[in-house]
Amino acid sequence: MKKKGLLLTIMVLLTLALLAAGCGGEKDSKDTAASGSGGGDTIKIGFLGATTGDQADFGSKTLAGMKMAAEDLNKEGGVLGKKIEIVEEDHGSKLSEGVNVVQKLINRDKVVAIVGDPTTGITKAVAPIAESSHVVLLSAGAVGANVVNTEDGKLREYVYRNTLLDAVAAPAVVKYLAEELGWKKVAIVTTKDLDYSVGLTKIFKKALADNGIEVVTEETIMDKDRNFAATVTAIKPHQPDGIVFTGYYTAGGLFMKEVKKQGLDINMVGGDGLLGSTLWEMGGEAVNGSMVYCGFEADPSMAQGKTKDFIERYSEANNGEMPNMFVAQGYDAVMMLADAIKAANSDDPVKFKEEIKKLKNWQGVSGTITIRENHEPLKSPVYLLEVVEGENGQQFKVKAAIPVEG
Amino acid sequence: MSAFLESILDPYYIQVLTLLGVYIIAALGLNLITGVTGMFSFGHAAYFAVGAYGAAILTVKYQFPFYGALLAGGIMAALAAVIIGFPALRLTGDYLGIVTLGFGEIIRVVFLNLDITGGALGLAGIAKESSIVLVYTLVLVTIYVMYALQNSRFGRALVAIREDDIAAEAMGINISAYKIKAFAIGCFFAGVAGALYAHLLLFLNPTDFGFAKSFEFLCFVVLGGLGSIPGVILGTSVLTLAPEFLRSLSDYRMLIYGALMVLMMIFRPNGLLGGVDLQRLVFKNKYKSQAGRSTAAGG
Repeated sequence: MKKKGLLLTIMVLLTLALLAAGCGGEKDSKDTAASGSGGGDTIKIGFLGATTGDQADFGSKTLAGMKMAAEDLNKEGGVLGKKIEIVEEDHGSKLSEGVNVVQKLINRDKVVAIVGDPTTGITKAVAPIAESSHVVLLSAGAVGANVVNTEDGKLREYVYRNTLLDAVAAPAVVKYLAEELGWKKVAIVTTKDLDYSVGLTKIFKKALADNGIEVVTEETIMDKDRNFAATVTAIKPHQPDGIVFTGYYTAGGLFMKEVKKQGLDINMVGGDGLLGSTLWEMGGEAVNGSMVYCGFEADPSMAQGKTKDFIERYSEANNGEMPNMFVAQGYDAVMMLADAIKAANSDDPVKFKEEIKKLKNWQGVSGTITIRENHEPLKSPVYLLEVVEGENGQQFKVKAAIPVEG
Repeated sequence: MSAFLESILDPYYIQVLTLLGVYIIAALGLNLITGVTGMFSFGHAAYFAVGAYGAAILTVKYQFPFYGALLAGGIMAALAAVIIGFPALRLTGDYLGIVTLGFGEIIRVVFLNLDITGGALGLAGIAKESSIVLVYTLVLVTIYVMYALQNSRFGRALVAIREDDIAAEAMGINISAYKIKAFAIGCFFAGVAGALYAHLLLFLNPTDFGFAKSFEFLCFVVLGGLGSIPGVILGTSVLTLAPEFLRSLSDYRMLIYGALMVLMMIFRPNGLLGGVDLQRLVFKNKYKSQAGRSTAAGG
């Protein structure tokens, strides 16, 4: 009896495995046939990101930028006479699916490079696969540590990113706070359950210490918290000049509301996690004066040349919507890859990855990018934005574009 | 063997199928708890996480050999199950469901706040150890153990508890002891699966082990057929592979996935293979009398 049951299960399993393998084999042959005939005149670039789930906004905006870049390149005859083709794949904001997607892009679609993921977590999870498969992974959004190098500090050869790193931006912003705004003591509020916030707090603390700003109190909150009365009460007696808030916009807006309610007339500063209209939808007037830094802000009045052209064309094609940072970074990512492929005169990742390493003062629509010796990008300038009352209600306005020097 | 498979399957399929194997092991563990014993558990992902983090920390931070860590991951999950089981398993039905849900969240939040797990930053730098051959060998071992368990005195006692706990107690079955044992064994397999998952994905993040994952496991078991081992395997396979093979439909794939679930529940409310006795179907005449008995044992 037992043996029969076991036998049966094995049979079921084998059938399943065969089925799966069968489907696979079939598609495989189609794929190779397709790339056999089309491989000569297209260069495939994969998109890794979410178009559904929690991170859908980051992913779909990156994809929009990538598509625009591919169109621009193809209009001018492509790269090395070949058309750029974007292969898009959605991982639904799930880590395990992200890994599947990368395997599919590399092995089924035979892409030469992958742009993504906009988040640090998934980029870190798939980096070893790109590295061992010799396919370039260029993240247009990952800002955390240990992306372009492994945990033990070894540099990855195929993994790069074109984002403004907090490690670059936060010190520049803190310097501005100390020198231009005269801040001397601050309170730091960390969102304990966000990897982004925990990492950013560390960077801010070091920068604050370097610039002689005293941290008078450190408080922690959770991202889903909605009542901050106790936290603000704890901050109040310290009378800081400002608050460094490293979390996301929903909590940030509500937090500032509580700060103003308790009669503290101070503003907060934070990273691009605060970048979104939800900030004032939650905080109302209380967030006026709050400052957020980011790697790109579409401000047609300040933009010049390439960037101005990019903003105009994007908003024209999207009913007047301004491109955000993810659109610009997605656009730049594809352009960086295209320039590297041109410089190497080859679409072989083994060859053109060497050209990515050499990028210096590369002019993109989101600013200038230099890939440093440690493979990390140095991006300039840092845009410091401030919430102000505009004609159509509250909006972000560029307060300063702080240049960064290597 | 591994090399042979790699030569005929591309890494994408190996990845998808290996992950499927991992899920099958975890789902079979849950089947023992929910399907056979009738205890609702909404916290299975938490034990999966205990195994994943436990094993990964042992191999990454303490340079444990992988196989030792695999076993340790399972044992840690079983221990967690026993500790939580003592107070929780006094409850039955919906109440137990809610308590397991609560404990599942507690475990996740603990991982989020510990330093050794890397908190929200996640745990990276795990070595790749889970090969497709190893995973499917363990799937076969799990299936064998589950069959042996279900067809033993122990398994029949569990079914008796599921069907009528008062009657079972009257027959001299120590209900709490059996329940905790079943819970621990089910969670042991979740822990082993978790350890394999960690050494397959190479990166762990607490957000990955939330309620959604527990719910996914429960769907595998319920849609496949509560208490039916082939059913659970089929349910897991359909629900894991469908979203992957529907990729070509891009935006519509999750829509179809949802519709698939609705249809399955309408047409097969007991699950795909719930109430179907494969042995009876295949060996109709020869084993008729025996098949009758195995229905009672295997559900």
